[in-house]
Amino acid sequence: MTRLDPRSRRALGRTLTKLASASVAESLDHGARQPTSDRDTTRIGFTGAPGAGKSTLVSRLAKRRLAACRDQGGIAILGIDPTSPLSGGSILGDRIRMDNIVNEPELYIRSLSSRSANDGLADNVADLLDALDSHGFCEVLLETVGVGQAEHAVRHAVDSLVMVLQPNAGDAVQAMKAGILELADIYVINKADLVGARKTASEVRGIVQRHRDTRTWLPPVIEVTQDGEAGLAELDDAISQHLDWLSKRRDPTETRRLRRRYHVQSLIVRRVAELLGEQPQLLDEPTLRDTYRKALQTLAGDEAATDPEARRDTW
Amino acid sequence: MSLKGKRILIAKPGLDGHDVGAKVIALALRDAGAEVIYTGLRKSAEYIAKVAVDEDVDVVGLSMLSGSHMELVNETMRCLKEYDAGDIKIFVGGTIPEKDREALLNAGACGVYTSEMPLEDVLSDIERQLQ
Repeated sequence: MTRLDPRSRRALGRTLTKLASASVAESLDHGARQPTSDRDTTRIGFTGAPGAGKSTLVSRLAKRRLAACRDQGGIAILGIDPTSPLSGGSILGDRIRMDNIVNEPELYIRSLSSRSANDGLADNVADLLDALDSHGFCEVLLETVGVGQAEHAVRHAVDSLVMVLQPNAGDAVQAMKAGILELADIYVINKADLVGARKTASEVRGIVQRHRDTRTWLPPVIEVTQDGEAGLAELDDAISQHLDWLSKRRDPTETRRLRRRYHVQSLIVRRVAELLGEQPQLLDEPTLRDTYRKALQTLAGDEAATDPEARRDTW
Repeated sequence: MSLKGKRILIAKPGLDGHDVGAKVIALALRDAGAEVIYTGLRKSAEYIAKVAVDEDVDVVGLSMLSGSHMELVNETMRCLKEYDAGDIKIFVGGTIPEKDREALLNAGACGVYTSEMPLEDVLSDIERQLQ
């Protein structure tokens, strides 16, 4: 039985479902049993507005990068789509753009719904990424929900972050605003066969390449057309160069701390949301401060923080 | 009624090119709280089974208007079994003559839903099947 034969794919699929739907308490129990993976699977993130062409780009790039990853464990793609805040349901449509790669045996595509997360990622995404690490993939490509200007949680979840833009998506002032446009390592002007691509590329270049400092990474701005391979090859190379650059400079302890920080922060935020759902009377306290204090007090004695041995084992 | 937390693959096997029905059911399932993955048109049984395994869905809905529903259901089931996923259920929707309903159920489909059926009945039946 190989790592990516049907049986192990089935097992992996089930593990991911379990992790994705775990409550805060279950996620903590899982974390207690499963030490953070020490494998070093490369994680590449893709983010950008809805309809920018992220899924199509990810699938074209996966096909390309598979050549180098085939014998090293293959590639996993996690594509996140939004959960309806009304029904809790979702249409997971990323993989419909990934048709051209489903028959690659060394490729694993998994669609995720964002669930309660509203930072562009999904609940328990850190656990899911760790599970893919442990499964032995060579690279994981993570596609965020279509984002606006401020959802930058993905920054700390991945090694290289690619921001996907499209031509004429706004004037130069939009590109100058603070937020996710400051954080990516590589910028793609996708659909570059459309009118205005060159201008958009040069505007973005003007913003993201202001600081020409040899000690920092100068983010390239790459035009990728719908069918042309030139831009895609350039993107592929830029990612490899960035990963290489990173490996020489990055402090692994700092990376681990940043990832732990995001992870614990997202669990606490979610636990607070769970609590306010379970105990709506907290919202009836006379002042905002009272609600805040009572919520914190309740959390201090929280069952979710207790060791699994101390209570009924749910995992 | 809720399908919260259920993962459902809506698939179009075979050669017919109409997916209005598939999209209607996909949206209705989403509104009932399910996570719905749609394959797009003209997929092979093998492709559908692979996606069902990787996505770890609870059930696959096959939407067919071409008349070859018997073969496609059998073939999809065979592929699922081959991928160690014989426990993933299948329901069938589309243009299905009444005389074939029984045969599809005997072949292992958990439900047969045609366009005359009220959407609410379809949803509550799917929910019942997934309990």
